[in-house]
This record gives sequence, structure tokens and C-alpha cells, in this order.
Amino acid sequence: MTIHNPTKKLLFFLSFFLTALFILSACQKQPALGDFGNSYIDDNKSAQIVVVDTATIDVSTTFVDSVSTAGTGYLMVGSYNDDWLGKVTSRSFFQVAPPPSLPAIDPRIDTYDSIGMIFFFRPGSPYYGDTTQYQTYVVNQVDTLMELPPFNNGWFSSYLLPTGPDLGSTSVRIEPNRPVSNGTIASNTSQGTGDTVRIRLDDQLGQTIYNMVYNKSDTVKNSTKWLRWFHGLSLSPGAGAPANIINGIKDSCIMRIYYRENALFSTEKFIDFEFTNKNVQYNYVTTDRTGKPIAGLNRPTQTVQPPPLTPSAQIGHAGYVQSMEGLNVKLTFPYLNAIALRRDFIGLLRAQLIVRPVPGSFSQIWRLPPQVGIFTTDQHNQLGAPLPSLGSGGAQTGSLIQDYFNPLNTVYTYDVTNFVASQLINPSPAARQTGLMLAILPPAENSAFNRLIAADQSYPVTQRITLTVYYISLFPHN
Amino acid sequence: MNQSKIICFLTLLSVTSLGVMAQNNFQPYSQMGIGQLDEGYYNRTSGLGETGIGYRSNRFLITNNPASFSGLANQYFTMETAIRGTFISYSGTPVQPAGTQSADITFRKLVMGIKAAKHWGTSIGLVPVSTENYEFNVPYFIQGSNQAVSNHFYSYHGSVNKAFWANSYEFFHHLSLGVDAGYVFGDLNQKDILQSTANGASFTSTSNDIYLQNLYLTYGLQLYGRIGKHLEYVIGGVYSQKSALLASPNKQVLNPDSVTIQNFQNPDHYLYLPNSYGGGLSITYNQKYTWLADYRYSDWNGVQALNSYPGQDYAIVSSERASMGFEVSKKKNLYNSTVELSYFQSGVYYSNSYLAVNGRQLRDMGVSLGIGVNSLKSPLAYNIVFQYGIRGTTDNNLIRENYMNLSFILNFGAVWFTKGRKFD
Repeated sequence: MTIHNPTKKLLFFLSFFLTALFILSACQKQPALGDFGNSYIDDNKSAQIVVVDTATIDVSTTFVDSVSTAGTGYLMVGSYNDDWLGKVTSRSFFQVAPPPSLPAIDPRIDTYDSIGMIFFFRPGSPYYGDTTQYQTYVVNQVDTLMELPPFNNGWFSSYLLPTGPDLGSTSVRIEPNRPVSNGTIASNTSQGTGDTVRIRLDDQLGQTIYNMVYNKSDTVKNSTKWLRWFHGLSLSPGAGAPANIINGIKDSCIMRIYYRENALFSTEKFIDFEFTNKNVQYNYVTTDRTGKPIAGLNRPTQTVQPPPLTPSAQIGHAGYVQSMEGLNVKLTFPYLNAIALRRDFIGLLRAQLIVRPVPGSFSQIWRLPPQVGIFTTDQHNQLGAPLPSLGSGGAQTGSLIQDYFNPLNTVYTYDVTNFVASQLINPSPAARQTGLMLAILPPAENSAFNRLIAADQSYPVTQRITLTVYYISLFPHN
Repeated sequence: MNQSKIICFLTLLSVTSLGVMAQNNFQPYSQMGIGQLDEGYYNRTSGLGETGIGYRSNRFLITNNPASFSGLANQYFTMETAIRGTFISYSGTPVQPAGTQSADITFRKLVMGIKAAKHWGTSIGLVPVSTENYEFNVPYFIQGSNQAVSNHFYSYHGSVNKAFWANSYEFFHHLSLGVDAGYVFGDLNQKDILQSTANGASFTSTSNDIYLQNLYLTYGLQLYGRIGKHLEYVIGGVYSQKSALLASPNKQVLNPDSVTIQNFQNPDHYLYLPNSYGGGLSITYNQKYTWLADYRYSDWNGVQALNSYPGQDYAIVSSERASMGFEVSKKKNLYNSTVELSYFQSGVYYSNSYLAVNGRQLRDMGVSLGIGVNSLKSPLAYNIVFQYGIRGTTDNNLIRENYMNLSFILNFGAVWFTKGRKFD
């Protein structure tokens, strides 16, 4: 291309010139001159980051006298003696129903054999305590209709139903994490029947029901009539000293009647009464805190009231999280807004809450909850909304770091930036009662006994619950 | 294409050049004072060690002295722009083996001029005054913690430029007086980003800006004539008047989401540019060989007490610069006119800068070589200048920069407003 016009030639040249300039200017290399220049910077001219980890934290435990334990899928049965929580006992109530079609029994040739319960402890089922111990399980028949009292809308952990005499019992050890081939685990019972626990029941009851089947009684043909007559069953730990284990037995249990069908060959037969009415199954939990640090726990004094708070100083300088017993920890920060009043404070960067268990309060037997949720709460001491983390925005579980070798390194960590940011500017008179609640997350909140004993601020700095606030500082403000 | 379109294009070019001027090599001393002063003119005198207070040209814009514009040929319009590539090698205790060099390429200036009347030359343009370009990291220990979980990333990026209108008038065929009315403007920016040492994410950043503006006047004088049949001389002098630049500081603090959490508009104050004096001389023999010499002195001591520059632990002191150059011009007679075809230049320079750091006034010295070609078939002239210099010292924990500049200067010239008459 030949450009004859001088002016156009100039513009063409300049365009090329500028294009080349922009391309080449992107080629800038950067040297490494260390921190040369640092000495020549004005002091206090730019924002800094200041960390404050001395914020006062009031640790309290809230208590609700009962929690909904119905329909969790597990019969939580057992008893243990906890150095912190006292004696904890759990038993379960449930119902079984006759089969939809009954076998034809000929009383002239068929013979009743026995009756028993079949329970299953599946891999992954909850357990808490010492799995090396034998636990005695006792089966009783409920002695009343399993119906909710008036004005109640669910089965709670405080409902105790009357039961009849013991129908049967067994003492069994359940190993929940027995290694098997291929690196997997399986549960195994000392009865040598895999994950199955069998309890033989009273033959008088078995013969009675067998006769009903033979007679085609309406009681076994109609499930409503059956429940009015049979009511339900209870599985509870045996009396005496706690075995220190509570197991979560799968609710898909069976009451089985064995009989023999005698013909040319004698054949073993059975009639299964399977688990029914999942929502009626619930666990009854009792505690005896006598002599334990938590004995001073404040209890509700009225029928309807906010869950009472108990300051940590009153109950062993700790906060207690175990939702099965209605225990949650409330944290309040009475002087938090003083951070915003600092002369150099110009903005919050982030805030982190570190919850440390009381040293020695946990072990591989007395396990910590793998997940502890954090919720907002107010003067009503109820669980509010889950507190989202700053980055992901999702609910937090504490990201437990568990270190049995160095227990002091065991921590739950939460991003509480959103909460602190709102509290710094919270003008409400109730701001001091606004705080955070630590609670077990569903579904474990009513199906696991893992508990957290959180150290309050009477413990050394490295062993206690700590709020670390990072803020942006600029001083002087010019 | 008519002249108005050319003007529009050149205006666009000027605006564009403003942005490009802000880029520059890493200059560790540019964080001090008003940045690293640009001693270059990027014109015909660049190959002469920027020696040109006593230099006149009928084609090129000698911005070293505003009195020179009256030397342009009658009705001659000329425009110059320049690009400079720089390579710097750093040495000294602070320099880490991982990075001892830097290189970049930048746009430097845009200047236009015309001989508007028989004795009156005028010029406008945009030229750099100083630049800031430096970045470094410093580990940061969060206050209240003994963990260095953060890092200061300091960056200095700013530039001070001058838009000027210069006029000169010739008296008695041997005296030219000129005034350069410059409007100095720019922004000194220091940004401090506190960032995570783990992933580089920003925690907070503080941007300290100082916006500068005011007029800065430079007066020039040139006396010139012949000594005998073969010698021509030019004696020049320049004086820049002390000027108080209005400094408007602004501080802005951003949070990690780059949302402004504090924005302070602090009271205005003044930063002074000093009285500056310069003298120069050139002798030309047979219109072929030219010897030049310059000396400049800037009285920064005189404004020291008035100024409050960013930073600390360095001093502003009076600066001076001396340079010499030699030029050989190759000319040819065409149609009863003498036309320059090319020229070769060399120069040396030595300066004490206006900064004294760690008790040492920073020196800058070097040599330059230039070659220029004037096209006979087009209105363009090309000038390529190589410069090698040493700035700073390795003493007292300072950094020495060995730099090489390669500048390309483009000149366009045309005779305007002829009204059909032939150019004489």
C-alpha cells in the first residue's frame, strides 16, 4: 500500500505508533527491591488491622424441660453416668401391629413355640458411651393407651407411660464399628447374630396372642382394636448401675411369634408383628444431676416461660450443649459495642468465635458433637435463625478440630462477623441480651447424646471460649 | 483531510497520552517528594544530553527554552511526539536476586508549534513533570497479635504533567524573549493494601491522593548571531518562577468488598515548585558542527520550609544539572535552499537531584547518542536517542539504577496558511 498524501501518512504513522505503544507498555517487568521504601512512609497514614480477643463473653446454659423425641427412627435405650451431666437414662416407647393377613393355624397339629423381640443395630446408628460394656435391655408392655394428653401435639422426652411387668430381657454388648473386610465396618452384637438383638418374651403373652390368631380374633384382625388392647411396648435399660452406654436401635423392630406347623415334616413358622406408627415412637429421657456441677441448673418455674438461663459460674464454670436434655449454650457479649467506640475504629473486618471444650471433659468415649450449630438469640432465649458465615453464607457447624493427643487444640470455630457487625450498631435496650446460641443441629438434636461442655472465661486464655474481632483502624482520622 | 480534522485527532492523541504517561519504570525514589522529576525534553536536544537552553531550530520544537520558538521557519507548523523504552538494572543491599531489572515502554510527550507571524513563534503541548511508580511489600504484624497474617502492599502510582502554551518573539534579529505558561496538574497516589499472606485477598486498603494544580511560568531569553563568517552562537537563559501548587489531599479507606468506609477530604495546602535558573551556550561552525553546554539550578532549599511532602526520613535539597553536547549536521543545497538531511549527536550530563536520602544527595549522570533523519519525501523527521546513565548509589543502603533509554522522537512539519503563495 502506498500512501501519497503526507497528512494521511502522518496519521497512519501515529496510529501505528500508538498501537505499538499500548501493546509494548504491557510488557513492564517488576524488580524485587525488598521492602526498600518502608522507612520513608508516614506513620499512621493508612488503615491498619487491630485484633481484639479480650471481649467479655457471658456463658449461660438454657434449659427446656422436654424436647420432642418422636419419630427419630431410633429407640435410644441405655444409661450412663456422666461426670458432668450426671446419670442419664433413656428408654423408648413404641408400637407393633399384627400382620395384614393371618396364617391359618390348625390347633390339632400346629403348636406354639415362643415369642420374642428382634431389634436391629445398623451400622451408622447413634450410640454414646462405652461400647465395651454389656447393657441389659428390658421389654415391658405399656399399661395404658398410647395417646397424647389433651393440648399436646407431640411426644416429648418427659412423658412417662406406665408399664406392666417385665416381659423379657437380655444383656448384650453392641460393637457399633467392628471392622470387616474391604475396610468397611459393621455393627455386631455379642449374641453372635450380626447386628440383631433378640429378646425372648413371656410365653403367656405369646400363647395369648397365638390363640387370638388361631381364633381369628378381631383384636388381631383390626389394628385399631389391637392397639387398644395391646397398647405398645417399652424398651428400657435394666435396673442397677448404669452400663455407661446408650445405643440407638433402629425402629424397624419386630415382635415375632414362633410356632411349628406339623405335617409330614415339622416346619418352623412365625408370625411377625412389625413396628408401626412411627410418629408415636418416642424416647423418654431422665437425668439425675445430684452431686454434679450442673446440679445448680435453673429449672422452669412456670408452665409457659422462656427457657431459664443459668450462668456458667453457677454450674461449674461451663456451658452445656446437649439437645436431648434440652441444654443449649447462650453467649452474650455485654461490652461488644465498646469496640466501635474506640477512637481508631472505622470498620469491622471479621470476627471469629472459638469454642473450646473444658479440658478433660471429652474423650473417645464421651465424644463431642461432630457438629454444633450457631444461631442468633435474644432475650427470649429461643433459637433464632442460623448464623451464616461471611464467605459462604451457609449455616455453620463449628468445623470441629478434634485432637485427642493435644486436647487443648480441640476447637469449634465460627465466623460471627455478621452478628458482631449488627451488634456494634444495635441500639436496642435488649442488645445485651441478644447473643448467640450453640445447639446441636438436626437430625442429631433428638437422636444423639454427644455433648459439649464449653469452658467459660474463668479458664486460661488458651482454654476458654474466645471472641476474636479484627477491625480496621485508622488513627488519627485524617 | 482538512486541518480541523487533524486538530481533533491531535486532541484525542493528547488525551490518550495522559493515561499512558502515568506508566513508567519502577523507580524506588519516586515515592519521595513529588515523584521522580523528568529531566528529559524528548526533542532534538535529547541526543545532546538534553542540552539546549542556547539552541534554536527552524524545524524542531526546542522546549528547553521558550525563547526558541521564534526560530521556527515562517508559517511552519510542526508537531512532535515521543516514545521511550527503558531498561533499568538495580544494585544495592535492598535488591533481591529474584528481580534486579525492570523494563517498560512509555509515551512521553506531545507538542505542537507554529511560526504564527514573522517574529512570533508559539507552541502548545503536554509534557511530563514527574512520575511516581513504585511498589513493595512489607510483612505486617496485626496489632494485638504476634502473627504476621497480613502483608502491606504499598504502591505509588502517580504523575504530574504540564500543559503549556509558550510564546516567543524575536527582536532586532538577535534577541528572542519567550514565556512558557504552564498549567501543572496531576495526582500523587499512595495506596496501602493490607492483604492476606495466604491468598493475597485484600483486607483493607487506604488510598492517599494529593491532587496538584497551578500555573508554573518559565521565562526564556536567547541572544544569537554570527561571529565572523563561519561561527554562529546562541546564548540562552531560562528562569522558572516559584509556584505554589494547590495540593488537595484525599484519603479513602476501603473494606474487603471495596466499599468505601472512610473518605476524608483534608484541608488544602500548598506544595511549592522552586525558583529555577538556567544558562546555556551553543557555538555552530559552518552550520555543521555545534557545541553546546547548559547549567541549571533549582532552589529547592528556598521552598523547603514551605513544603510538606508525603513521607519521612528524606530531605529536599537544591538541585543542579550540567550538560554538554556535540552535534554534526549533514546538509544539502536543494533549489537554492539548504536542507538538513541528517544529524549525529552526543552528550554527557551530571546532576544532583532534589532528593537526599539516608544522608546522600542522589546523583544522576550519563551519556547520550542521537541520530536524526529528515525525510525529503515526506514531512516527517525521525530521531533516535540512546542514553545510558547511573542514578543513585549503593552506599548507605540505597539503590543504584543503571539505566538505558532508547527514545524515538517523531516530528511532523508542514507549511500552513500559505494562501497559495510559495514557501520562501
